[in-house]
Amino acid sequence: MPQSDCTPLLEVENLKVHFPVKEGVFARAKRFCKAVDDVSFSIKPGETLGLVGESGCGKSTLGKAICRLLQPTAGSIRFEGESIESLSKSQMRPFRRDLQIIFQDPAESLNARHTVGQILEEPFIIHKIGDAQERIRRVRALLDKVGLPQSSLEKYPFEFSGGQRQRIGIARAIALEPKLIVCDEPVSALDVSVQSQILNLLMDLQRDMGISYLFIAHDLSVVRVISDRVGVMYLGKFVELADGDELFANPMHEYTKALISAIPVPDPTVRKDRVVLRGDVPSPIDPPPGCAFARRSPIEVSEDVASQPGEYIEVSPGHWVEVHPATVANHERFLVRS
Amino acid sequence: MRLFKFNPLTAKKVARFKQIRRGYYSFLAILALVAFSFFAELFINSRAIVVSYEGELYFPTYGAVIPGDTFGLGYSYETNYRELKERFEEEGSDNWVLLPIIPYNPYENNEYEGVFKPAPPSFSEGHWLGTDTTGRDIVARLFYGFRIAIFFSFAFLILTYLIGIAIGCLMGYFGGLFDLIGQRLIEIWSNLPFLYVVIIVFSVVPSSVPVSARIIILLTVMVMFSWMGMTYYMRTGAYKEKARDYVAAAEAIGASTTRVIFRHILPNTLATLVTFMPFTIVGAITAVTALDYLGFGLPPPTPSLGELLKQGTDNLTTAPWIVVSSFFTLVTILTLVAFVGEAIREAFDPKKFTVYR
Repeated sequence: MPQSDCTPLLEVENLKVHFPVKEGVFARAKRFCKAVDDVSFSIKPGETLGLVGESGCGKSTLGKAICRLLQPTAGSIRFEGESIESLSKSQMRPFRRDLQIIFQDPAESLNARHTVGQILEEPFIIHKIGDAQERIRRVRALLDKVGLPQSSLEKYPFEFSGGQRQRIGIARAIALEPKLIVCDEPVSALDVSVQSQILNLLMDLQRDMGISYLFIAHDLSVVRVISDRVGVMYLGKFVELADGDELFANPMHEYTKALISAIPVPDPTVRKDRVVLRGDVPSPIDPPPGCAFARRSPIEVSEDVASQPGEYIEVSPGHWVEVHPATVANHERFLVRS
Repeated sequence: MRLFKFNPLTAKKVARFKQIRRGYYSFLAILALVAFSFFAELFINSRAIVVSYEGELYFPTYGAVIPGDTFGLGYSYETNYRELKERFEEEGSDNWVLLPIIPYNPYENNEYEGVFKPAPPSFSEGHWLGTDTTGRDIVARLFYGFRIAIFFSFAFLILTYLIGIAIGCLMGYFGGLFDLIGQRLIEIWSNLPFLYVVIIVFSVVPSSVPVSARIIILLTVMVMFSWMGMTYYMRTGAYKEKARDYVAAAEAIGASTTRVIFRHILPNTLATLVTFMPFTIVGAITAVTALDYLGFGLPPPTPSLGELLKQGTDNLTTAPWIVVSSFFTLVTILTLVAFVGEAIREAFDPKKFTVYR
């Protein structure tokens, strides 16, 4: 029997989200856009898992699939041990209280025709919590919690600044006191000074309410601040997953190294050794055979080697890497063991 | 506390609409005409507004027929109040009659030189714009014709929009095969010839069917062949809104499909439809007038602009007042509504800077 505090809050196993690509009017979908391809990870209660990767690598798709806003093609999602990947809309509703999402663009994610009061009241109405007065009381408490003035109640989203709007989005997400929040690039659309305020708010809420985050971002410095563990995604797959400190101190995968070397340093005198990748990210519709990254890696390999698939293995406790001749220096040391 | 609070964006649009004088005053004029038409019986009617007879007051406008016997006229059919007024004046008694400004209703035929033929405008007779070919007062015919046309158009608008919005929204929201099949069915349906259907339907409806039922049949046929236009706008609107994050957020909270459609998608798509409303009204008035002109519209003896236009063109040289008055009435109404439509379109335009003022 596993101990209760060791049970992961969320377990994702071999999750795939493929979108059919239709060509012509009557054609059946022959090709698929493999936005998320065979991804496995877990999140413990109260933990923050950071998720980084370039645009189009499937981070947001993964986040939305976990919230069941997109239907996964294959694989399993277990929330507190229960499979939620094939639940119907009404079966899913009780899980919605524990599983929330914060979106990237707060202007898009708030209905412009509703007041802030209406937006924040909606979760309570849907889940039939309290009467009208109780709901208003809770909405006011939410505004306090995210640091918005009580006068916001009657205002509309477009009357707020970007950071304040994101606070509204956060207030809506925490309204039902969830256990896990998928943060889909919650600070990417904000100014740097506002970003830190929002990150602090998220961390304060985590401390007070014990929420777990799946924190999606493309900014490594943001992820570094907030995450306990960090996963790196490339073309729909995890290429590296480790504790935050370990990942930044000891990156294994060439792609991770390239990402870390690209973090801007606020000191013009520091000379940095940039790892510059070749070429562009291949299309997820027609990924090259074998290791998708091999042809861009600074470690050059022959086409024969590149078309062999890599292996996603745990190289040291809690540190998972996609091992392939082109992605990890001295890859043989790991493969021998397996 | 205000009962109805506009979203500030909507309030801004309304304020901009008020600034466009031509449209705003046209809107007020139309509104006044429609409001006035609710009480048309008090102003244009053969029944008196008030009759004072032997110390008692009678209000014949609304309610049952008051027979001539009541006022000592010696007949049991409805009192002719114009004659009653003359009689009271001849007698010089305390009895009096207050007649409407235009003391004719749109159905009664008044002889002219002993026969039923168009009488020219005459203030002494009370026929300000003359009479039509069967001696009915043209002002009364025009005004009641306007009233029927405008209410007919509003009913048409509401029904077509309800059907169009519902079907369009469902197609856009659910998409997929439902959308594909729905679209093809709508394309087929749009190609059915409306005029033939109207002709066929009214050749089948027996003459015993009352006028009000015939009007409803006409409305039904017109709605059946006109709701498709709205579905296109609603479909694209729903497609667009459905993909936005606030809908995803609502779904993530656990909102039901009906809640997502009615609370989130509809309010965000409906705003654009307001722009189309005046033009739909213009279209409906024109359509029903054209049908009346051809003789397939509102059944006689319903007062109608199209029927008057037809009479006018038939008697262009002998009774030019008919065509002139009905033409000007039609043009005025359509222009007013079109001005309102232009102003609404301008006020709701996301690109604020245009030439129109």
